[in-house]
Amino acid sequence: MAKKVKAIVKLQITAGKANPAPPVGPALGQHGVNIMAFVKEYNERTAAQAGTVIPVEITIFEDRSFTFVTKTPPATDLIKKALGLEKGSSTTGTAKAGTLTHAQVRQIAETKLKDLNANDVAAAEKMIEGSARSMGIEIVD
Amino acid sequence: MRWLELSCQADREAAEAVSELFARHGRGVVVEDVDVLDGEVVADPDSPVTLRTYLPLDDSAAAKRLEIQKGLWILGMLRQVGDLTERELAEADWAEAWKAHFYVHRVGRRLVIKPSWREYEPKPGDAIVELDPGMAFGTGLHPTTRLCLQALEDLVVPGQSVLDLGTGSGILAIAAARLGARSVLALDTDPVAVDAATANVAANGLSQTVTVAAGTLPQAEPQIHYDLVVANIIARVIVELAPALAAALRPGGTLIASGVLAERGSEVAAALARARLVLAERRQSGDWLALLARR
Repeated sequence: MAKKVKAIVKLQITAGKANPAPPVGPALGQHGVNIMAFVKEYNERTAAQAGTVIPVEITIFEDRSFTFVTKTPPATDLIKKALGLEKGSSTTGTAKAGTLTHAQVRQIAETKLKDLNANDVAAAEKMIEGSARSMGIEIVD
Repeated sequence: MRWLELSCQADREAAEAVSELFARHGRGVVVEDVDVLDGEVVADPDSPVTLRTYLPLDDSAAAKRLEIQKGLWILGMLRQVGDLTERELAEADWAEAWKAHFYVHRVGRRLVIKPSWREYEPKPGDAIVELDPGMAFGTGLHPTTRLCLQALEDLVVPGQSVLDLGTGSGILAIAAARLGARSVLALDTDPVAVDAATANVAANGLSQTVTVAAGTLPQAEPQIHYDLVVANIIARVIVELAPALAAALRPGGTLIASGVLAERGSEVAAALARARLVLAERRQSGDWLALLARR
């Protein structure tokens, strides 16, 4: 019989650099997960992408064992990377932080497609555009 | 250190923007967008998402919290974003929580891992490792540790000298001593691990047999050649240290190299071969490998 799920926790943490400090410790400790076992496993599995934010979805079972899958980097990180930005607008939603071309939006949408709740690339592009605008980034042709 | 946990609820469209805001000012982001009911996952696309981030409570905390509040206020004009809630946390709040679910367990034929806060009536032949791992790696539950414990059970001959590199909680060093090793050197570069291992060795009454020290190879190599070296670390470190690991073994001695994902097994095996170690056995549990190699 399949193990009963206790919780699903999603974390955005830097590949290869997880440690027991927040957010990992409190997010997993409250569910009774062996924090260091997760840290070791996540760091080893993401070692090749060290330095990039690699979201992880952790399924915690009733017996406190766990499995996890890693996801593509957050759209906002991919947007910042495409623009060579350290951060978005310092006043979210108001000041312009840069411009992104439709071609760049499409490329990010294709990268993120498997992790987005979108039926096709066009729908994913809309989501990426929304994220970009929230960061104060304008979309141009 | 104390921490401030900040959390808020947002609709799914706003979650990415809130997440970006949290990531910019806070330490990591936790996203809870799936409910679990009676062991089953319930996905409701209309339910709000809960997001959390953390700030160390130092001089910068107030300014960062204000930036997050300002950002949420602006996002709240565009999307559905709830109020920011906060609470203070101490490391002990999460460091101890998992202990309630850590029980006495047996590994291999003789080894019994006994959490220091549990009772256990020993059976004849048991080799008991009493343990409080704290925030150090090594509980005996992870496949890499189990592979090493089983290999130690097969390989340790009473009277041998053992080096445990990357000792973590000290579990492997203590197990080696319990299985009859005459002397064990347990090294780790992480001060948290050194403290945990020192305390665990003392709690097992093995301070005369097991020496715990901060350090790694080759700097900390005391010019002794060991009968057995166990390195439950990660593939990259084992590859880097392969020559030093080989040099720490006496001729005919055995290395147990673990913490290796199966997909990196060939790379580690090649590094051991370059260090003139002969691969004797490859053991696997799930996705993880332990490689046994002889000098």
